[in-house]
Amino acid sequence: MGIEFAAWLFAIALITSALGGALGMASGIFIVPLLIASGIDMHAAVAASIVSVIACSCGSAAPFLNGGFTNIRVAIVLEVATTLGALTGVFLIGVLPVRFLFLLFTAVLAVSAWQMLARRRERAVEEAEARPGGWAGALRLHSTYPDRARARDVFYRVQRVPLGLALMYGAGLISALLGIGSGVLKIPAMDTALRLPIKVSSATSNFMIGVTAAASGVAYFARGDIDPAIAGPVALGSVIGALLGAKFLMAISGDRLRLLFVAVLALLAVQMLLAAFGIEIGRAA
Amino acid sequence: MNRDLARHPELERRLASLLHGGTWLGCCVIGLGLILQVLGGRWFPAAAATQVVVAGIAVFLLLPILRVAVMLFVFLRERDYRFGLIAAAVLTVIALGAVLGAQMAGAAGGG
Repeated sequence: MGIEFAAWLFAIALITSALGGALGMASGIFIVPLLIASGIDMHAAVAASIVSVIACSCGSAAPFLNGGFTNIRVAIVLEVATTLGALTGVFLIGVLPVRFLFLLFTAVLAVSAWQMLARRRERAVEEAEARPGGWAGALRLHSTYPDRARARDVFYRVQRVPLGLALMYGAGLISALLGIGSGVLKIPAMDTALRLPIKVSSATSNFMIGVTAAASGVAYFARGDIDPAIAGPVALGSVIGALLGAKFLMAISGDRLRLLFVAVLALLAVQMLLAAFGIEIGRAA
Repeated sequence: MNRDLARHPELERRLASLLHGGTWLGCCVIGLGLILQVLGGRWFPAAAATQVVVAGIAVFLLLPILRVAVMLFVFLRERDYRFGLIAAAVLTVIALGAVLGAQMAGAAGGG
């Protein structure tokens, strides 16, 4: 039982993470519902997934950092909010009914599917709107990123930091409650509130996910919620999967993969919705 | 002019190699633990193999914390006390989570 189950966990983590990596998505959103479908309870699935979320964030950070895309000052400022949110989540997860967690997960899956269909578009730079003062100026958050097409560094201004902090608190909370990287809230926070260029936003969000997940992961670990028999194979499978995903990203048409993902997200949303009402499909006999 | 931008090329490179190296270490330790669980059988106790997996998981939990600690150190060395304080705040929140998590485990075990 032990070895076969570990192999099964490794395989689902590898496959979901490879597919997720190909679209630049964290795999927690797929792994938690699949772990639950494999007969693992919600809290154990969340705690195991958090470890793989950290592993994937750390494993994919280096190229973004070396490329000059990650804004580490923005990251550390927002991490105050995400870790506080994660701490809140650690407390709430024991108090909130599991049914609520399933419903919240359903909502996150549905919004993710919608975001994937809508895509992210680079905003036109609204210089008139950018105020020179404010938090971002005082904290020296404005920066540049390398643009290969234009072969030069492009300057960008960071905006509406307080709104970004509020959204990031929510992102940390959801990350801890559901065991995911919670790109669902990070994307609007970084693209819409802070107005970061997409490449900077992706790199910085990925960089922050590790610390956010570590805040809840350390608490779950101290509480004894992390089962090494589940978290070990899932973390290893996720990192290897993410590496493979980044490689075969070139081979697959982005649009086809995107549609496949929307379908999978919708399917998982239905599964989590049914689970919220006590109907479990796919549970191993 | 460049001084006003949020770029820290040297620190960024240092963090990149820390996270890259740490990920390799964590993966190797977890992988070793899993292999010992499968092949250990008679000569390596299953409980010890599980402890190796736990050590690998601990590497991943500590890696982002170490990353914030490195940032704290560099900010302080650069006399950027405001950001040193921000990094210290992040570490404090994480430490608080660990302490309270352990207390919750103690309360659950005792009750």
